[in-house]
Amino acid sequence: MKVTIKTYNAVAYWRWDAPSDDVCGICRVQFDGTCPNCRFPGDDCPILNGKCGHSFHLHCVNDWIQTESSRGLCPMCRQKFEFEAE
Amino acid sequence: MATKRRILKELEDMSRDRSSGMQAEVVDSDNMMHLRGWFEGPPDTPYAGGTYVVDIVLPDNYPFVPPKMRFETRVWHPNISSQTGAICLDTLSAKWSPVLTIKTALLSLQSLLAAPEPSDPQDAEVAQMMLNDPARFDAKAREWATRYAGAGDAAPPSEAEKRRRELDGYSESLVEGFTGMGFETRAVVSALRGAGVKRGVESLAEDMAGRVVERLIGGM
Repeated sequence: MKVTIKTYNAVAYWRWDAPSDDVCGICRVQFDGTCPNCRFPGDDCPILNGKCGHSFHLHCVNDWIQTESSRGLCPMCRQKFEFEAE
Repeated sequence: MATKRRILKELEDMSRDRSSGMQAEVVDSDNMMHLRGWFEGPPDTPYAGGTYVVDIVLPDNYPFVPPKMRFETRVWHPNISSQTGAICLDTLSAKWSPVLTIKTALLSLQSLLAAPEPSDPQDAEVAQMMLNDPARFDAKAREWATRYAGAGDAAPPSEAEKRRRELDGYSESLVEGFTGMGFETRAVVSALRGAGVKRGVESLAEDMAGRVVERLIGGM
């Protein structure tokens, strides 16, 4: 049998390289979802992996680091929050 | 609003998790930012057996700033104002972190009751008494616990309360599935715990149920 494909719909699936049941410790939403202020998951609302091994939505941890009381520390382990520039 | 979603999640989590003993509810259904929390006084302290109610106000930028907490129940404790219920605790001020929650904050308050710190007092009069006359401090803390927090009288726990403690947060129907096989409740609960079954689940996947039964048989 010979089949000629006339048209097709490609479907792709993605997820962050993070445990699927893991939530952002700040907003408590799953990493594959967005921070509370964004609507679309993905590159517009990325997760940020700290050198200390703790990850958060970029927007969430950014809000925290900008507060004076954070003193630039990771909310989990209170070490200086640093991340690998990509 | 961003904050609202997280508060809802926190309230859900606390109503599901009976084992921590930390509870909170909205005071007025129109205002999510004003809560009332409560917990039992820690055992082996003058506060044991009392129920402590805490007034909680969540600022607009919670969780980036700590919740404002104040004891509604009067407490005789060096780090809590005997007049206003104001609390002196670093976790609720400089040491706050947005990964902490209302539940962990209440847990910190319970620990504070168990570990008073008279060298960093909120109420100087109470701290003085604790340092100079510990026996009198204990007696007064106990007297207040009885008068304001409903402690004392050592009423035996009700049947329902006994059963609740026995189940340790596991659902009645889940445990019954195993007691129906002839195992004792105490053994079933410890097997569920040992197999790492989460509290509050109503049914188990087959392999997990198998693991629980294995533990039960192994323990006989």
